[in-house]
Amino acid sequence: MVEIGTILMMGVFAALAIHSKVLRLSIVYLAVFSLLGAFLYLLYAAPELAIAEAVIGSGLVTLLYLAALKRSRVYTVAVVGTGDRDRLADAYISHVERAKALREIRDFFVLREFELQVVFVPVSLDQAVLDPAYDLVVVEDDEGFSAYTEDESYVMLELEMMLRMRGEASMLRFGRYVAEGSE
Amino acid sequence: MSGPVSDTMPTDESIVLQMVVGLLYPFMLLFGFYVILNGHYTPGGGFQGGSVLASLFVARYVVYPVDDTDTETLHSIQRVFLALIVIAPSAVLFTGVIARNPEFRSLYLTTMDVLIGVQVGFGLGVAVLRFAFFQGVGKTWHL
Repeated sequence: MVEIGTILMMGVFAALAIHSKVLRLSIVYLAVFSLLGAFLYLLYAAPELAIAEAVIGSGLVTLLYLAALKRSRVYTVAVVGTGDRDRLADAYISHVERAKALREIRDFFVLREFELQVVFVPVSLDQAVLDPAYDLVVVEDDEGFSAYTEDESYVMLELEMMLRMRGEASMLRFGRYVAEGSE
Repeated sequence: MSGPVSDTMPTDESIVLQMVVGLLYPFMLLFGFYVILNGHYTPGGGFQGGSVLASLFVARYVVYPVDDTDTETLHSIQRVFLALIVIAPSAVLFTGVIARNPEFRSLYLTTMDVLIGVQVGFGLGVAVLRFAFFQGVGKTWHL
């Protein structure tokens, strides 16, 4: 009876780990799955395997997964051009790549150990900000570079705080995007 | 429990986690050595005890994620023990010590368990720490 129950619970937690939308929760479910597996080993009179499974399965492996998850997030920065400039020309791309503003963003994400990819998109600012594929939208106008985001997560808050604290020294203005017509 | 907290201590860690791990740490150490030393007549043995010892590194990392462990030294020690694991059984086998004196059998098994335990413990611990701190730019970052 206990045996059947444990096996069923293992199945439930395995399914939860696969179907969970949040990866961090999946890792916790996997740890519970592992712990139930250790209990099952104990039921089948293999206490040595139970010890190893409990320590490695729900201890070491959970930590490894969490550490891997920590740096799995990829942030996408979209660069949109303004006005009549050819936004996808090589000259423009290298001009933006050399800009201090983009280097500041890169340094921030390197420091926080997140992956960063920069894409150049031929859409307008409004479209790019509203697109969930882009976490941060950088636009160049007459006064220099500006960054816009709808993202409320702590990473973007930290980026905003860093840029604000550096004030004039930072070559990048940070703005919360407000859709036109609201306010 | 307000002791002096050194300024290298990450202060935004959960105090509950720190207390619980601090309380359990000696017992984990004791359990690891118990499993290793009694491996030849109770459940457990070198590998199981070694993985319990490796979980000490994990527990320390969880409450104090600072890259101040000398993994190079631990790796060297681990390689020495790996060599001893190969050498010790060969020596015992070729000299025939156990065959002539059967009362040494228990001592031999315990020695092998200790060798394997230390090797596995340091090996897994170094593997976890290397992975956790790989490409670490900041000194402290948390899960």
